[in-house]
Amino acid sequence: MKFLKIGSLAAALVLTVYAVQPRPVVAAGDTASGNVGLKSAGALAFGPDGVLFVGDSVGGAVAAIETGDKTPAAAGAKVDVQGLDTKLAAMVGVQAGDILINDVAVNPISKNVYVSAARGRGPDAAALVVRVDTAGKLTLLPLDNIKHDTVSLSDVPADNPGARQNPRTQTITDMQFVNGNLMIAGMSNEEWNSALRSIPYPFKTAGKGTQLQIWHASHGRYETQAPIRTFVPYTIDGQQYVLAAYTCTPLVKIPVSDLKAGAQVKGVTISDLGSGNQPLDMVPYKKDGHEFILVANSSFGVVKLHADNMGQYKPIDSPTVVDVAGAPYDKIASVTNVRHLTAFDATRAVVLTSAGGGGFGPATGPFNIQTIALP
Amino acid sequence: MRVFLAAIILSFGVIAAAQSVDIRRDGNTFKVIGASTGTLVVYAGSGDVPPLAGSSSAETGTIVFHPRFPLAPGVRYRVVFTPRGGSPIEKTFESPASAPVPSARVERVYPSADVLPSNLLRLYIYFSAPMSRGEAEQRIHVLDANGKVLPGVFLPGQELWDPQNRRLTMTFDPGRIKRDLASNRRMGPPIAEGRRYTLLIDREWRDANGAPMIEAFRKNFRGGPAVRQPPDPKAWMIATPPANSRTALVVSFGRPMNYTLLQRMLKIQDPRGAAVSGIIEVGKAESEWRFTPVREWTAGSYRLIVDNGLEDLAGNKIGQPFDIDVFDRITEHITTSTEALPFEIR
Repeated sequence: MKFLKIGSLAAALVLTVYAVQPRPVVAAGDTASGNVGLKSAGALAFGPDGVLFVGDSVGGAVAAIETGDKTPAAAGAKVDVQGLDTKLAAMVGVQAGDILINDVAVNPISKNVYVSAARGRGPDAAALVVRVDTAGKLTLLPLDNIKHDTVSLSDVPADNPGARQNPRTQTITDMQFVNGNLMIAGMSNEEWNSALRSIPYPFKTAGKGTQLQIWHASHGRYETQAPIRTFVPYTIDGQQYVLAAYTCTPLVKIPVSDLKAGAQVKGVTISDLGSGNQPLDMVPYKKDGHEFILVANSSFGVVKLHADNMGQYKPIDSPTVVDVAGAPYDKIASVTNVRHLTAFDATRAVVLTSAGGGGFGPATGPFNIQTIALP
Repeated sequence: MRVFLAAIILSFGVIAAAQSVDIRRDGNTFKVIGASTGTLVVYAGSGDVPPLAGSSSAETGTIVFHPRFPLAPGVRYRVVFTPRGGSPIEKTFESPASAPVPSARVERVYPSADVLPSNLLRLYIYFSAPMSRGEAEQRIHVLDANGKVLPGVFLPGQELWDPQNRRLTMTFDPGRIKRDLASNRRMGPPIAEGRRYTLLIDREWRDANGAPMIEAFRKNFRGGPAVRQPPDPKAWMIATPPANSRTALVVSFGRPMNYTLLQRMLKIQDPRGAAVSGIIEVGKAESEWRFTPVREWTAGSYRLIVDNGLEDLAGNKIGQPFDIDVFDRITEHITTSTEALPFEIR
């Protein structure tokens, strides 16, 4: 077992949380059949009743798609598809190298796995969402005719309405459905900011936004803004948190109850792997009476954080605080080249792996998707 | 999933004679001529793969398969038609691989200066044509003075493109830039003051059509001192043009600023508070902003409206450094979204 040194880290993060105005396409909470109009399919998250949220970074929107996939999984269901990229390429008529897989989500009801991807690598690439069922069958969602609702994230008007196209984009890095709200982390291609949006679902007009200050707790003195790379809801001592990994820094915990207008919140550092490493995905779980967080990393592979003492991490409020160490962890060597990791059930996770180039390195196929036992 | 029928069975009452069936490719469709009943499945690629997504229709003695997506070059299609009660008839079509002609090159990279701060946060790379996603990490390199590729320079992960895939935003690993983070302590900043570097972008990077670029791109630069003080608009120099002219207003920042944000975060208000239309030019290594109005300036009090989100090269915003020293409290978070700098046109 190793211990993550936080050292005299002390970054605080300014996090802007604001609500957005949904497109007045349909009445509140209604969905209509038709073309979803996705320009890209990126981050995925499941909401209630088989609703799949699909982040469209190019289109500046999130679609809530009614998958209709609401049949509970049979006991012992699992997912195991080898060569997902090759199979998907065959279904849409391109070579495997022209499939870019973007995200993976598990339908909590049916345990079917949904994968977002692009058909092609250029600006005209088609958005794909494919269901991988527990029998291994792949089915493309008919994105040109399916019940959906859409919310626009483009709350900032184009700089120059006469220009051919606004060059600004807000890439959706991760989404989670937490307490009736879709939380969306994003990253701008122009400014350095830390936008975290919270949108009630069913989509309806939301209140005005606010700016929060999120602090890292550890000894040190510098605070910064940074986009969130990945986050996941987590309950510590009965309180709902999000565990967030920033593009610059380690894992922090943020109380969900504090993510509201006018609040100042303390985000507390859990660990800092450092050395150019970035957490990709996280899965909190309990096993044998202990709490853990499985983390897939860009360069450190998969690690298991021991999270029993998460509630004890306190925010820093003085330069005299001397920090000790971050959460202890074990390296999990049995699974490598993990590109996506998400929870499957209480004892298993789903991993999407590449044959080469784990983490963020250039991927080489074939890509496989399978359930693994939580270690 | 009616749109994505993988296997289509058509029953129109006319039984085709299998021996007279002909399978053809016709543009973006496959046709089984001389058949009206049977099962038509198309496979793309080789091996045990699912059928190609699409739908079929029957047209006077012909079954037509319409792929869900356009047929792509370089893909082998295997069309299998099984007449009702008959044996499968199969035909393979090779879709010739395209040989796209190189047309793309790197047009510009910002910041454009030859000396860049050691806490430089972002690069903006402009291409002359739409490019392929998913290659940036393997095609963009920073070399040291000996030509050795430096690892861990950029933030890995999501590629930040504009919607046309013609401008790519690269972020230097912020964990190495932010003081006191683990990466910063162990690896130091990506750029060291006084050292010489080369930004190299490989010719092999494919454009959106799959062609490599016309040529590689190289930019030599030297590491300069870190920029820790936030930009202060009150220190900017504003050269005002005369009234009744269309001479450019020139704002000098005293340091290079973020090129992309200069396109939209500075605006001019006329004496009545209305936005002035004009053309923006950024020069002198992004340390100068020139605004040429569409109509002549008139005498009176104008204002330069500055969005406080405007950044310099190190991600320092107006009145707010990239990493704030929370204990010294020398700097505080800015709460207003804009600042107004008045100037007179005479």
